[in-house]
Amino acid sequence: MEYAIIFLPLIGAIVSGFFGRFVGDRFSEIFTSFLVSISAILSFVIFYIVVAQGYANNITIFSWITSGDLQVNWSIKIDALSSTMLVVVGIVSSLVHIYSIGYMVHDECKTRFMSYLSLFTFAMLTLVTSDNFLQLFFGWEGVGLCSYLLIGFWYKKPSANAAAIKAFIVNRVGDFGFALGIFLIFYYFGTLNYSEVFAQTPYFVGKQINFLGIETSVITLTCLLLFLGCMGKSAQIFLHTWLPDAMEGPTPVSALIHAATMVTAGVFLVVRCSPMFEYSQLALNLVCIVGMTTAFFTATIALVQNDIKKIIAYSTCSQLGYMFFAAGVGAYHVAMFHLFTHAFFKALLFLGSGSVIHSFKNEQDIRLMGGVWKKLPYTWILMVIGTLALTGFPFLSGYYSKDAIIEFAYLKNSTVGFYAAAIGILTAVLTSIYSWRLLFKTFHGKYSNEKIKIDKMHESPMVMIVPLILLAVGAIGSGYLFKDLFIGHESSSEFWRNSILFLKPIIYDHPPTWLILLTPLLVIISIPISYYLFLKNKKILSKYVQSHKQIYEFLLNKWYFDELYDFVFVKPIKRLGLIFWKNGDIKTIDQFGPDGFAKLVKFFSYKAVQFQNGYIYHYALVMLVGLSILLTYLILI
Amino acid sequence: MIAHAIFFYFFSIIAIFSAIMVVASKNTVYSVFYLILDFISVSCLFIMIGAEFLGMIMLIVYVGAVAVLFLFVVMMLNVSGTKDEQFKRKISYSHISFGSLISLIIFLELIIVVGGWKYKPNIVEISSIRIDKDFTNTHAIGNVIYTDYIHLFQLAGLILLVSMIGAIVLTYRKREGIKKQSYFKQISREKKEAVTLVEVESNKGINLDD
Amino acid sequence: MINIGLGHYLFLAAIIFIIGVIGIFLNRKNVIIILMSIELILLAVNINLVSFSIFTHDLAGQIFTMFILTVAAAEAAIGLAIIVVYYRNKGSIRVEDISSLKG
Repeated sequence: MEYAIIFLPLIGAIVSGFFGRFVGDRFSEIFTSFLVSISAILSFVIFYIVVAQGYANNITIFSWITSGDLQVNWSIKIDALSSTMLVVVGIVSSLVHIYSIGYMVHDECKTRFMSYLSLFTFAMLTLVTSDNFLQLFFGWEGVGLCSYLLIGFWYKKPSANAAAIKAFIVNRVGDFGFALGIFLIFYYFGTLNYSEVFAQTPYFVGKQINFLGIETSVITLTCLLLFLGCMGKSAQIFLHTWLPDAMEGPTPVSALIHAATMVTAGVFLVVRCSPMFEYSQLALNLVCIVGMTTAFFTATIALVQNDIKKIIAYSTCSQLGYMFFAAGVGAYHVAMFHLFTHAFFKALLFLGSGSVIHSFKNEQDIRLMGGVWKKLPYTWILMVIGTLALTGFPFLSGYYSKDAIIEFAYLKNSTVGFYAAAIGILTAVLTSIYSWRLLFKTFHGKYSNEKIKIDKMHESPMVMIVPLILLAVGAIGSGYLFKDLFIGHESSSEFWRNSILFLKPIIYDHPPTWLILLTPLLVIISIPISYYLFLKNKKILSKYVQSHKQIYEFLLNKWYFDELYDFVFVKPIKRLGLIFWKNGDIKTIDQFGPDGFAKLVKFFSYKAVQFQNGYIYHYALVMLVGLSILLTYLILI
Repeated sequence: MIAHAIFFYFFSIIAIFSAIMVVASKNTVYSVFYLILDFISVSCLFIMIGAEFLGMIMLIVYVGAVAVLFLFVVMMLNVSGTKDEQFKRKISYSHISFGSLISLIIFLELIIVVGGWKYKPNIVEISSIRIDKDFTNTHAIGNVIYTDYIHLFQLAGLILLVSMIGAIVLTYRKREGIKKQSYFKQISREKKEAVTLVEVESNKGINLDD
Repeated sequence: MINIGLGHYLFLAAIIFIIGVIGIFLNRKNVIIILMSIELILLAVNINLVSFSIFTHDLAGQIFTMFILTVAAAEAAIGLAIIVVYYRNKGSIRVEDISSLKG
């Protein structure tokens, strides 16, 4: 059964990719969606078995590398952590497949799209079911590749191509750190399999290594390098620049990759390596700080963005920051819980916005929308559900997971913990503000689109709405239903068992009541406040923006990160590359190599041709020269 | 011996000088004349050295036939051309240095043989035919050429025949519009083609338009 | 210097030979000079043979010289015939114009 989960999407990808032309669009759409849905259902079954019977298994498919000490296998490892991820990936992927049938109806290359989606699913599944770092890296790179293919799906648009390359390259920077981490692991531990590495970790605690002249602990360095990979993949600060630009791809892509699956691979890695991270307080602190900084800073950017998908993208960055900082305070299970719930409501939001875009005929600027909540009722209701879940409205899923994060941070009783909790609450308020801003500007207020008449607005087809409904069910219910399973009191012994390591026992005290009530209260208050600011009295805001234009510009331009990177990295490297090309390649290598030889041959042949100029005396001279050489040779010998 | 030396130097200086002038002279007719002078001086050298038959033969054949042939051709072909033509073409002197170098090398190699002779006088094997003081050169040559070297003699004759035929064949051209007699046709003419008997009626003529 | 030996004759022959060789490729005038230079070369060979024949009292050299004379005459005749025909066809016997072998 495990084989089916992993390989059905691959079969779908191959059939749709290579034979799509023969089997036709409709068949490939239905076929791939069908296969991925079966995979999702099977992953549910596995999850149930894991929950009910504590099933854990490690199946070796075949041995990949056996070279000296290195033994790496293709394997499928099923335990609590991977089965959770299987469910997440399966559900979101199958719903996105079905949704794309409706969304891509006007596109010409449906089979290619479906094939890429299924391929991505396969890569992600390989990533989460690996039992060694190398297969993880394979899946890591596989999802990176598929994100490149999918972001640049409409390859005729130059901006899409640029965004795809940017995503790949920024990911690459992270992957470089990740690869270094893997090398370090192999160098010290002698193996790449999780079980062996984690078993040996306690013995390496005090060991130091001299890295670039600084004495650091091996464990800390490894964790930091692995975290660098996570920063790239999950778009944390400094390596986040690709995520907003990745919105160039079609909306189902954003839902699948950038809401639910690829960006969560980073969180998955940190949680998977929790046995290692637990031994390095420095790394954990760094993870926490990076997480919360990202959460805060992306939330501020999301406040002023005008593109519907970019707002949701920054929101994703922000929520990922939450997950990382949950992991950083040692609450890995909470991070996984938040990942689980976040997948539902973020995918719901993305797909809902896709429905809005579809109805507005590919318009994405929220300033050009408004006042359509009566015309698109289903979409409106579902988006409201998603927004409520995202902001942490009480009793919806986001409330359970996000508040758990803040509580755990507070309960840690360290400076970092308090600081993190404070930032967490602040970010929650910001999250609420921008989410409601999005909703109000899109669905309420005056209708400001010039291109399409409001009478022509119609709801999206059922094939797009049904996945949204299913996701909404998950967004509402997954928090309450799974709360005890994931983060309840007995969860670490009943559910998570060996997949996550907690060095210190988890604190299950109750946080102070004021803390429990603070966040939901702030969130509920912010709804009318944002209603007032964005709908009723827009002038307050515009006056504020006018007077603080610089801050507004700063936020609008994403804290000028792109410009900074352009100045520091892109331009010098481009110039260096140009120098290498012009001087190194053309002038030196080509000149002495191919060009030089060609010129030399031409030169000599030109000279040789002049021997045959047709004049007899010339020939006689040449004969004479030959004769003299012969004579000289004979005389001198 | 002094006379021998004086005559030798005299004739050889003239020979070398005229050889140089053959090559370097601007007018082609002058070149031919210098060639004739060269032949004459070398022939005198031969007579002086004791091979008088060869000297005379050279005079008759080379000067009297070959050089005159050269002169005929030079006159016939208008080789010098007009003065303008010679000025229009640019003359390059780049080839002189390289050619002289090569020639110098060959000259030096030729001289080395002399050195070899000086140091090793027995280089050449002496064949059986000896020069006797009693016979004149002509007598001696005549003794040998029709007896021992008869085949070479006949071959030389054949060569001359072939060259004569070759020269005639090469330069033969048919001229247009010349009336010639063909004896063969004349002799092989038959009566029935030539004569026709016609019955002529009185007061009527014959039609000869055929 | 006063005693003329074989070497002097050989030296003379060498000089005339070289002059003939130079004449072949140093002239830019016309082809007849080439033929005359060939005659000079043959002349030098004749001098060589005759002087060797006299100094070693051997008649074979002179016999051979006679035949060389014959051949030289024949070859001069043929060469001139060729030049005449060539002139008829091409109209010029300047050395620069004879470059049909080019390439």
